[in-house]
Amino acid sequence: MIQLDNVSYEYEKGGGVSNVNFALGDDEYAFLIGPTGSGKTTLLRLAYMELLPQVGKVIINKFDSSKIKSKKIPFLRRKIGMVFQNYNLLNDRNLFENIALPLHVMGYQKDEILDKVSESLEEIGLSSKSEHYPNELSGGEQQRACVARALVKDPDIILADEPTGNLDPVTSFELIKLLEEINREGTSILMASHNYNLIKGRGHRIIEIQNGIIRKS
Amino acid sequence: MDKLVFLLSEGLKNLWRHKLTAFTSIFSIFLTLTVAGSLIIVSQNTDRIIEYLRDKYKIEVFFKQNISNDRIEEIVQEFQKINGVRSTTIITKLDAKKIFKSQFGEDILDIVGYNPFPASCVINLVKRQKEKINIRPIVNKLRKFSEVDEVNYQGRLINRIETAYQSFVKVMVALLSIVIIVSIFIISNTVRLTVYAKKELIKSFELIGATRLFVKAPFIIEGIFHGLIGALLASLFLTGLLEIASSFILSIIGVKISYSFLSLFGFLGGISILISSIGSSRAISQFIK
Repeated sequence: MIQLDNVSYEYEKGGGVSNVNFALGDDEYAFLIGPTGSGKTTLLRLAYMELLPQVGKVIINKFDSSKIKSKKIPFLRRKIGMVFQNYNLLNDRNLFENIALPLHVMGYQKDEILDKVSESLEEIGLSSKSEHYPNELSGGEQQRACVARALVKDPDIILADEPTGNLDPVTSFELIKLLEEINREGTSILMASHNYNLIKGRGHRIIEIQNGIIRKS
Repeated sequence: MDKLVFLLSEGLKNLWRHKLTAFTSIFSIFLTLTVAGSLIIVSQNTDRIIEYLRDKYKIEVFFKQNISNDRIEEIVQEFQKINGVRSTTIITKLDAKKIFKSQFGEDILDIVGYNPFPASCVINLVKRQKEKINIRPIVNKLRKFSEVDEVNYQGRLINRIETAYQSFVKVMVALLSIVIIVSIFIISNTVRLTVYAKKELIKSFELIGATRLFVKAPFIIEGIFHGLIGALLASLFLTGLLEIASSFILSIIGVKISYSFLSLFGFLGGISILISSIGSSRAISQFIK
């Protein structure tokens, strides 16, 4: 599913990742843990090819970072659902429109969009708030909406970058469970977090990164 | 098809979603196009004013006595071949006698016992010519005919008008060029600021897998709407202003200002659509990786 071979990326002002090797299989749920600034976000950005490795390569399904043309990257991203700490919902459109956006991008018909968005809203328990704008929702609801937006396009994998960073412990725990449910239905998940207590004991693989180097995979 | 409808509706909805940005952009386009449109109307009507004035130019050629009417007709046919001559009107001795009677109410024969008026010809000059009309060479050619006794014309006045017109045309071309360049600069910068305010939106579109064209399209469509609305407002404003002012201008300079809402809107709309769409496209390209 995801394979990183000897991947290195260094920012101009320092930081990044160095010689990273790991693979994430189909249907796998893994946590990427490490302190702030350890390189977790860089690894995820490399995975959805916002950054391309300076050394090594990233392979996601049939997309290979060493060969990919920039016009093909959008098609890779349609196979990846992304969840961010700061939600990245668009404040100028309501919940339904936010979740429907990836489907418009992918060229779905109006009826299909209606069905799929309604289904996603139901799955995350926000059907009654489809007309609400992001600033009318709680942090937890916004993050669930973010998950729905990632999920609605039936991705092969979900990359979550500190999705619990702005949530209270109870809501964070609920989000982890929601992602576990999604994983049980066949979607691979790679979730970055610096909160070890939140993820320990859940029986998932843990990849540990420090100073840009994978310490445990 | 649904994708196209979505992109069009996104462009339209963005006008409402980003009301303040849209207002700022449309207002600056409106102001810029109003200035450009005013200059275009003035330059279009300058031709009408100069044509009106040139219509008044005339050269009067008086023939020597005892030249037959047939010979005068032959000479006048030669006059018409001179470059710059638009039309000629022959005034025979008999015509001159009639004109005198109509103007003074008396028959010249009763006063002096014979008809002293010479035959003459009134020459009108071309009206539609971009270049300056130079009257001196025409007069010189007329004088070369041995049958011509005297040539009367308002040389100094015509020369002044023609020189002023040529200077005005040059100033207008320069001014219009400057205004259009400034318009392009203002509109494209307004569009750039509009796009810059939405760089987060562009980023979101990219992350969910939108192609470059899909990211660009709503912004370009929105830019076109801004341009169209700005051009429509400027055209309505200028047309309304001219509707009120045209009778006043007619009474002052004797020329009816011509303007057409459709051609004005077509021209201004064309300019603003072109600048807005190119400006939007270039501005977004800076934010798309």
